[in-house]
Amino acid sequence: MLEHVLNLGAYLFCIGIFGLITSRNMVRALMCLELVFNAVNINLITFSNSFDTQQKGEIFAIFIIAIAAAEAAIGLAIVLAIYRNKNSTRIDQFNLLKW
Amino acid sequence: MNIIELSEPLHEIIFFLLELGVILGSLGVVLLTNIVYSAFFLGLVFFCISLLYFTLNADFVAAAQILIYVGAVNVLIVFAVMLINKPQSLKLFPSWTIGDKITFLVCLSIFFLLVTIILNTSWSNITLITESKNFFNFDFTQNIQRIGYLLLTQFLLPFELLSMVLLVALIGAIIIARREILIKITEKKKVQIKKNPTIF
Repeated sequence: MLEHVLNLGAYLFCIGIFGLITSRNMVRALMCLELVFNAVNINLITFSNSFDTQQKGEIFAIFIIAIAAAEAAIGLAIVLAIYRNKNSTRIDQFNLLKW
Repeated sequence: MNIIELSEPLHEIIFFLLELGVILGSLGVVLLTNIVYSAFFLGLVFFCISLLYFTLNADFVAAAQILIYVGAVNVLIVFAVMLINKPQSLKLFPSWTIGDKITFLVCLSIFFLLVTIILNTSWSNITLITESKNFFNFDFTQNIQRIGYLLLTQFLLPFELLSMVLLVALIGAIIIARREILIKITEKKKVQIKKNPTIF
């Protein structure tokens, strides 16, 4: 059971990294980032279920969920602002950053 | 040990169905061309992961996952997708470039490395070590009560800092997404319209 869930977390992490690198749309990159966060959460909850008696891993999972919600809000706001200026959301066409 | 007492084959079947949903859904998120479909597949993945938390005895985190991820983040992503994207080509899967193939090979090798490490680690020894230390156990019956107790005693400072982070993210998102430039442009046009009759 433990190895199955850990393998699932590893799979989700790897496919999230793959999508994050290869996606050309910025919203899809944000979605793959959420997949990576979920892989981390699965690992934390599995370990806290198996090895910890006080459920501290669940508290860290709640913290990660809150941080991910804040990150999604900020990221989508940045995507909207860039779309309003450049009229596209393709990552490889951005030359906004001067440094 | 589990809250939901299920027989072993039924547990295996439920876990297999959830794993199938997560695997196919994440493949759909990454590989499909139409981004609206991938947003809905992302909702499927979040829902399956929250059901997986139920089987792992974490009922509070499962409820928080459904509320925050499916209810807030996924709705936000679907909203952004439908505001931004025009419908594109009818092709279901995009063609891969050389960089995509190299990245696929690298991610596949990372995955096999992780799987071999997981399968070669002897987890049973670790469980024996930690269960022997199991003396001072908080005697709360509910999982949620234990989480609330820990949040307000041992993790009080990160909890309050997290509320500050959420407030700052809220204000920052509003300020970034506000259309300031358009307001300036319309003000200039109004000024020009007002100036024009004085010229003639």
